[in-house]
Amino acid sequence: MSLLTSEVEKLIGAESGVEVACDAVERGAVRCYVQAYMDEDPIFHSEETARGLRWGASVAPPLFPMNMFRRPFGTPDPFAERAADPDFDGIVGSTAPGLPPLPLPKGIGLLNAGTEVEVFRYARHGESVTAKSRYHSITEKLSSKGPMLLVVIETEYRSGGGDLLLRVRKTQIRR
Amino acid sequence: MRRCYEQVTVGEALEPLVKGPLTSAHLMRWSAAMENWHKIHYDREFAVEHDKLPDLLVNGTLKQQFVMQLLRQWAGNDGWVWKVSFQFRAMNVVDETLRVWGRVTGRREAGGFGLVDLELGIVNGGDKESTPGAAVIALPYETGGPVPYPFVPPPGA
Repeated sequence: MSLLTSEVEKLIGAESGVEVACDAVERGAVRCYVQAYMDEDPIFHSEETARGLRWGASVAPPLFPMNMFRRPFGTPDPFAERAADPDFDGIVGSTAPGLPPLPLPKGIGLLNAGTEVEVFRYARHGESVTAKSRYHSITEKLSSKGPMLLVVIETEYRSGGGDLLLRVRKTQIRR
Repeated sequence: MRRCYEQVTVGEALEPLVKGPLTSAHLMRWSAAMENWHKIHYDREFAVEHDKLPDLLVNGTLKQQFVMQLLRQWAGNDGWVWKVSFQFRAMNVVDETLRVWGRVTGRREAGGFGLVDLELGIVNGGDKESTPGAAVIALPYETGGPVPYPFVPPPGA
């Protein structure tokens, strides 16, 4: 059974709108993030250190904007909707902000195959962040475990003022 | 430390960054910080019984942070980690210790600063490579100022 149906193919090239992260870069969120990957560089929390360097103010780690697109206040709880589903894998919403999820059969999993990133500037504490994504390509391959899709998603992350922060191309395996 | 383009030699290895052992608490903490609720990172029964994985998986996004940390530390505050690519070729599972490595493969001048090409990866305790990749880092010249920020890629690079 092919996973590359006409409904999936129609989404190649599909673009999101300009999505705005529900929260600006928060000092507390940066703290949790850097503690979780164990990197306590003072540029992430010390205004004095950051001001003395090129950053001018405390900044978030380079890849932080990629993880700012969370479930906003006032939206339905996806766990409640799928609590009785034994195949619910915990993935909620789209895997890229604003892109429609791929219409795939129930039980199809997701693995990250790789990422290419270009970094232009760090997001500062207090700054809002936007993202615009598109399905760059979707191709099918046959693996030993059956058909799988290679899904390439491109996203540009910008500051609220329009400065380019990151350009990211993610490859996902769906099987 | 200020690292300058002239100090870098092709073949030079970066001081590796060691992370771990990465317990289920580490994976849960990262999942929570990310608000990534994919069960393969914290629900062993789901990972093994449902998704037929060998154990809980170390998040690819966590491994990306480790690589960026190694590169940023090497580049210093006057340099700039411009491009990074990672391929998730093999899984890393809970309780592994990971060693993030990098090696200079090339260098070229690019106007007001130098560009350094690197290969990189992440190996576990058994020396199995899971995350091969590459990077391009901009470094200042010894006689020059820091790499411009925000970073503007040199034409044609």
